[in-house]
Amino acid sequence: MERLSSEDSRPLSPNIQIYRPQLTSVLSIANRITGVFLSACAVVLVIWLVAAASGPEGYSRFNGLIGSWPGQILLLAATFAFFLHICGGIRHLVWDTVHGFELRQIYASGWLVVAASVGLTLASWLTSFLIAGQS
Amino acid sequence: MTRTDALIITASDQVPGRTVFKRFPIPRNFGVSPGSRIETGRTWPAPEGATRIKRFEIYRYNPDSGDNPHLDTFEVDLDACGPMVLDALIWIKNTIDPTLTFRRSCREGICGSCAMNMDGTNWLACTKFIEETDAPARIYPLANMRVIKDLVPDLSHVFAQYEMIEPWLQAKTLAPDRERLQAPEDREKLNGYYECILCFCCTSGCPSHWWNGDRFLGPAVLLQAWRWLIDSRDEATGKRLDRLEDPFRLYRCHTILNCTRTCPKGLNPGKAIAEIKKMIAERRN
Amino acid sequence: MDRYRFRSPLGRAQGLGSAKAGFGHWWTERVTAVALMPLSVWFAASLIAHSGSGYEAFIGWLGSPVTAVLMILLLIALFWHAALGLQVVIEDYVHSGAKIGALLATRFVCFALATAGIVAALRVVIGVWAAI
Repeated sequence: MERLSSEDSRPLSPNIQIYRPQLTSVLSIANRITGVFLSACAVVLVIWLVAAASGPEGYSRFNGLIGSWPGQILLLAATFAFFLHICGGIRHLVWDTVHGFELRQIYASGWLVVAASVGLTLASWLTSFLIAGQS
Repeated sequence: MTRTDALIITASDQVPGRTVFKRFPIPRNFGVSPGSRIETGRTWPAPEGATRIKRFEIYRYNPDSGDNPHLDTFEVDLDACGPMVLDALIWIKNTIDPTLTFRRSCREGICGSCAMNMDGTNWLACTKFIEETDAPARIYPLANMRVIKDLVPDLSHVFAQYEMIEPWLQAKTLAPDRERLQAPEDREKLNGYYECILCFCCTSGCPSHWWNGDRFLGPAVLLQAWRWLIDSRDEATGKRLDRLEDPFRLYRCHTILNCTRTCPKGLNPGKAIAEIKKMIAERRN
Repeated sequence: MDRYRFRSPLGRAQGLGSAKAGFGHWWTERVTAVALMPLSVWFAASLIAHSGSGYEAFIGWLGSPVTAVLMILLLIALFWHAALGLQVVIEDYVHSGAKIGALLATRFVCFALATAGIVAALRVVIGVWAAI
């Protein structure tokens, strides 16, 4: 029986409302969310450059904002987002060469991305504290 | 099918033993149009004397009633039906509620009729063991499909997308008196792609197809498109690639890979799509 | 978004036909991604290395020609990649008439921010050069 395209009277079966989150979809949406978040952080980057170019007063005002509690949380989030996005991006570039598509490899590389992101975030913040402590 | 606690899934039939999130943390009726909202249905108890009982929550929709879809709970006597979810559905239809409607045919995982969403993932009901489902088992139709009745989705759009890629051999060279020659290594390139049973579990589980399914072809159709692109006997490769190279038809794929995760035949649509993209890159460089 | 009523499933699936394009965007997104890898790692490492340093030392680094060149390349690659990525996000989720406006706005804002960043970097390098 031909069904006409304008007939939306049939209900739509649920999709994201019931579909199980899996490593595949969760890491993919995380890559997108971190990408959008990093785009917002890019705005902050430009503000930082403009502040640096405007002289020591503007620069120290910016530093004060970043040094505050909300600023530090933002910086931590940005660091984690950066590492997650870049590690996820490398995973995507490997896929573009048509490698790593077996389920075992998809899952192994996925968990590796998560672990590497957490590890790199911790390592970078630790190094930053050590260097700041020495100066 | 196996329940596994392993972090690394190695085959699509593995069901995770532990789950942190059974669904995304969004409101239950997020973005759902009023006519698609699922209401609570009734409970159908098991017959007298049933010993091993399992509850099944099943999506119901009756187009003749004018009501919204609802979720019915059935108590199934596991000693009276076979081991697969399809056996439970048939038992319910035979003994409890004859109006329960679903597609089925081969009961051995080769026809693709009984594809549906069980416990949040798409699979074939006839190859899903009841003992590997949650308690209660949640049975929904294939995700993001117009529902004709109960668990029967309207597949006319996805089949139209399949027809659009012209899934037949196109060769102007006159057919020889014997078969068209193909080297064994070239025939091997079709392995992993020709076996698709067009159940549409993958397409129905693809978030990109959820948001852009009117224009994005989806993994099942693109896997078949690849099957024809690498068939050495086909002579329309350029024309096929022209038709595929479109920001929506092909490039809505963001390698989410829900498709490969859910394929009941263990095929790899994500890889096929990556191969198509690579072929397009090759003819551009 | 159905243009017509009573369109057959095949007609609806065909839509307006294939655009026969799409590779350019996909390729450029990857080229900018590959460019961003060393540039962003350099930037993050430089920030970490300058943790806690004062304004003079910091501006001395930022105003050096090598840093200025890398910073400008970073800004170009970053905002180009961001513009392409956000374009895909908008195309995925926005289907109303607001889509075109959103796409234009995103692209223009990325251009403007990149320009502002490049001007700021140039100001620093010229300022350091003039002070010598």
